[in-house]
Amino acid sequence: MSVWPEERLLTSDAEFDTVDMTINIGPQHPATHGVFRMVLTVDGEVVVDCEPYIGYLHRGLEKLSENADYRQAMGWWDRTDYLAGMACEFAYCSAVEKLAGIEVPERAEYIRVMMTELSRINSHFMFLGAFGADVGSFGTSFIYAWRERERIYDLFEEVSGDRMFPTYFRVGGVTMDLPENFEARCRWLLGSIRQGIEDLDGLLTGNEIFVERCRGLAPLTTERAIALGCTGPILRSTGLPWDLRKAEPYGVYDRLKFDIPTGRQGDVFDRYFVRLSEMYQSAKIVEQCLDEMPKSGLVLNPALPKTLRIDNAECYIRQEGTKGEYGVYAIARGGTQPYRMKLRSPSFCNLSALREMVVGSYVADAIIILGSLDIVLGEVDK
Amino acid sequence: MQAPNAALAAALPAIVGRFDVALSETKTDTNISVAPQHLRNLVAELKEHYKLQFDFLRNIAGVDYGEEGMAVKYQLYSFRHGHTVQVTVATATGHPVVPSIAALYPAADWHEREAAEMFGFVFEGHPNPKNLLLEEDLHIHPLLKAHPLQKVEILQGIEDGPPGFKF
Repeated sequence: MSVWPEERLLTSDAEFDTVDMTINIGPQHPATHGVFRMVLTVDGEVVVDCEPYIGYLHRGLEKLSENADYRQAMGWWDRTDYLAGMACEFAYCSAVEKLAGIEVPERAEYIRVMMTELSRINSHFMFLGAFGADVGSFGTSFIYAWRERERIYDLFEEVSGDRMFPTYFRVGGVTMDLPENFEARCRWLLGSIRQGIEDLDGLLTGNEIFVERCRGLAPLTTERAIALGCTGPILRSTGLPWDLRKAEPYGVYDRLKFDIPTGRQGDVFDRYFVRLSEMYQSAKIVEQCLDEMPKSGLVLNPALPKTLRIDNAECYIRQEGTKGEYGVYAIARGGTQPYRMKLRSPSFCNLSALREMVVGSYVADAIIILGSLDIVLGEVDK
Repeated sequence: MQAPNAALAAALPAIVGRFDVALSETKTDTNISVAPQHLRNLVAELKEHYKLQFDFLRNIAGVDYGEEGMAVKYQLYSFRHGHTVQVTVATATGHPVVPSIAALYPAADWHEREAAEMFGFVFEGHPNPKNLLLEEDLHIHPLLKAHPLQKVEILQGIEDGPPGFKF
């Protein structure tokens, strides 16, 4: 089961009689990044079994969506990946648009991609800050990350009126046009973001203790990552350049130029570094959108009916969320409410691989491995 | 957005025809409908055949069609060829038995547990058939259409709630 090199395991305990002990971590524990609980069975310092328990934040998203109007239900979807609400709205709106065959104006497409990428940067900043804290740079990485996150949230507030749960997207476009000074503010923000990434890069990647701690920890091969259902930065860190923005382009991603950062051995350090590199690419995408987007025009399809009724249709929309493949499986069977809305949440699937990665490691490393998965419990528990 | 893969739809009938399937198109993917008893063989063929190589299980979704029965939907993806297929297993209502594919795709483990608790499916041969998101000893199936949106569930032996306690 363990994929650990022999020398990192404790030596054989033939000369000792040991008794396995159970350690409960969570659900209220800073290291679990939310209400997540795992029960570790340890032999000394080595983890021999790990049982994750989820569901503490289960709010019945799918049931609620089935009982709301197509447009009303969108507010719930913000609250899945709450670090990148706009990316979730994008997937939900795309699913409804696909079912109903609704077109989105070009300017709105650019705004959507821009907001999604800013959300991605925001979410990855959160990862860098929290992961740094997990590894031991106690508060510094957190504060560095928060400075930029606050600035991004300020911009979101100016655009949509809310910071974390903007509900800015609409079926057929976005709520309202960008504010007047948006472009200048956004360009300034991108400079600030790049500086922020460099600061964190220097703080963490430039720290030998951090690198030593993460290198070679819980490596995953590409085949194993695929079998376990891992996507996003975790899959890319194993060396496979698979990103839905390139593999199955949606929105205006096919017009934008960006690279897919990959790692080599799929260990904790590679996962960290892939996310760090992705942030530069996201900033590049936002910059291109600012350059290329139509300077004026509609942001919401004007031909929408007052009440959305969708006949029999079925689709599976998948987009590159911040944590991996964010899928929405939707069925319409007439009426104003979705018949079935299923969220394929990337954190959920990535977390199901936790047991395999943690078994064989030290207890202290188990915390780092969990941190490197970058889960959001709102998305895991739905 | 993603267009249904025409090459895949052309190649499929010859390969999966012997499993007594029906092919159709959804808005995004090709759909294969199959009976529960053929599911495991069909999925194994989809995974192994050199023209298909569906090595990645994207998603499993249960659906309750009310009086028309229930269904389990599987979305599979091939990294080699870049195409997606959906497999539909239609079942009766109640607690229908569907073979587990967790041995073929380890990723199916949690997806199947979720579908089982939410709809009451019994995944035959699942290694760890416990509740995942719901309370461990709670045997309700909230995503069934017959289950009301708002309902007070009495837990832990309390016969009646406090007077006047309503949602």
